[in-house]
Amino acid sequence: MFASICGRLCPAPCERACVFNDEGAPIGIRALERYASDYGQAKVVRTQSSPPGANVAIIGSGPSGLTAAVVLANYGHQVTIFESLNEPGGLLRYGVPEFRLPRKVLDGEMAEIQALGIEIQTNTLVGQSVGLDDLLSSGYKAVLLALGSGTPKFLDIPGTNLGGVFYAEEFLLRVNLMQARPFPRTSTPIKIGNNVAVIGSGYAALDCARMILRFGRKATLILAGTEDEVPIRIEEREYAKEEGLKLEVMVNVLEILGNDHGFVRGLKCSRSDFADPTNAGQWQLVSVPDSEFMIEVDSVILAAGHQPNSSILKKTSKLKFNPDGTIFVAQENSMTSIPGVFACGNIVSGVGGSVVETMADGKMVAEEMNRYLNP
Amino acid sequence: MFQFKIINKQSLGPDIKRLDIQAPEIARRVKPGHFVIVTPQEGAERIPLTVVEADLNRGLITLIFQEVGATTRQLGMLQINETVFGMLGPLGVPSVIEKLGTVVCITTGVGTAQILPICRAHKKTGNKVIGIIGAKAKKLLTLEAQMRLSCNNLFIATNDGSYMKRGLATDLFRELLNKEKIDLVHAVGSVDMMHSVVAMTRERKIKTRVSLNPVMIDGTGMCGSCRVKVNRKTVLACVDGPEFDGHQVDFEDLKVRMNAFQVLYDKDGKEIECFNQKSTPSRAESESKTLTRFLSGILKSKP
Repeated sequence: MFASICGRLCPAPCERACVFNDEGAPIGIRALERYASDYGQAKVVRTQSSPPGANVAIIGSGPSGLTAAVVLANYGHQVTIFESLNEPGGLLRYGVPEFRLPRKVLDGEMAEIQALGIEIQTNTLVGQSVGLDDLLSSGYKAVLLALGSGTPKFLDIPGTNLGGVFYAEEFLLRVNLMQARPFPRTSTPIKIGNNVAVIGSGYAALDCARMILRFGRKATLILAGTEDEVPIRIEEREYAKEEGLKLEVMVNVLEILGNDHGFVRGLKCSRSDFADPTNAGQWQLVSVPDSEFMIEVDSVILAAGHQPNSSILKKTSKLKFNPDGTIFVAQENSMTSIPGVFACGNIVSGVGGSVVETMADGKMVAEEMNRYLNP
Repeated sequence: MFQFKIINKQSLGPDIKRLDIQAPEIARRVKPGHFVIVTPQEGAERIPLTVVEADLNRGLITLIFQEVGATTRQLGMLQINETVFGMLGPLGVPSVIEKLGTVVCITTGVGTAQILPICRAHKKTGNKVIGIIGAKAKKLLTLEAQMRLSCNNLFIATNDGSYMKRGLATDLFRELLNKEKIDLVHAVGSVDMMHSVVAMTRERKIKTRVSLNPVMIDGTGMCGSCRVKVNRKTVLACVDGPEFDGHQVDFEDLKVRMNAFQVLYDKDGKEIECFNQKSTPSRAESESKTLTRFLSGILKSKP
């Protein structure tokens, strides 16, 4: 399923565990998958034919929602996906830049999905355009919430509201969705400086930095830890370095400094280093005293992580939420506090789930939903 | 799903346009204070616009906007029978409308379009509604007749004195504060106006609500572009607002945020270079070895 997407975005834990690691390089299964899907014209096929099933609504057309949709459609259910933006894809469209996942590939997969008989309803924000209760009362036997974790985690340092400070989500949305990248040809520029610092260590941070480099600007990735703690494939990291990415490791950002016009002037940082403060043999990163210095930049992208995007449903539905904003689901079948409403992906797990992990989750919950619909 | 066809188009003033768009689902659910995010063409910017009116019988919603940038101009160029590429809504939290007594609705410029549904709702609940409009000139004043119908009393000020009183909306408001007992103030418009209104009502402890209009992108709480500080907490205007308690909003912070997307000019009218450095394209310095290395598992057998 979605081999061309996984073949590009998967962090490939299997390559890390490969037995050939001892003998040199692991089998490049990710690249093989990508090759096979690109040149073999993969099709999402109906694996089994079953009697017509129930109407199912899936909220969110990100990786987990799409995967669940395909599984449910294969069981014969009539699936409708609701998407709030103009085009389906969710994170795959607005989060992942085009150089990692070409839009042609994504559009191809979307066409395959629609060929399965899955209906995609764009421009619909469940909770605002349509209520969750309305869906249940209008004939949908089951609803799957695959909302993802799209809201940025707000950083608590002074100066985050200055001009030239973007959260990674905003930057990527402007680039991917509003087409800021081919700017003079489109009318939607992004107002960003020539020397950009990206704070964060995830894929979002690296994607932003590499996009900045593609704009012809300078990018510096600021990491709080060491380079090897970064949860990114070495391959992607090496690519970024080849493209000219500068790294500042073991640096804590204390403040974003502004100029007279309310724009970014620089970053006040301090260095940290490994130390053993208690002499217990536990080496950890502690900040070095009097190590404050300034990095001169004129734009900052904050990519400190995401949090679940649940504020709309919190206001408009009776769903039960966990304190951290994720949806409460039953352990045994992933059902939320409303019968017939399921949830999967990052809205349940919080953060950190990669594309393939949320896809796997979507697949699992879709099986549960089928069991609920056809007991 | 919907076609978002433009049924009617009207020019209300220089660069101010009114569009009636077919969107029955939005029209059915819209309440005063709600807004929609409009994408005029594929790949265009997404702009938030207040729903001024909703016609349930015909399934129409009315949008009024001023052409200020590339995207609003694109929207203004659409003609009757053409369709808008995308429209998402209704979004935001609807206005709190209660029976309180005397309500002052104060606005500037094209903000009349935003405050009109709120005025109507207040009058419908039985409040005495006093409207104050501030416009730069008479030709930029819109929706005067509609405002007169939905307010018990309407005061208008123009900056150049071309119509009614000369001055600012806040001048009229200051006069009114001394004359009337006011239970609620609702301010929509420029950040400066809202800031000074809030400063005036804070002394007298009058409940004040403001509708903020920071730059938004998706309108679903995903980008953090419309972040504002309310009660020292960062909230998103698209999902938690756009209406907030005026006394808790950090306006200084909001001004900085709004400036970030403007072209700034200095005293002589010269454009200020907001960013310090000149463009210096960066080049990759090392060779592309990574791809070959990572494909080695496939390409090369072990040494």
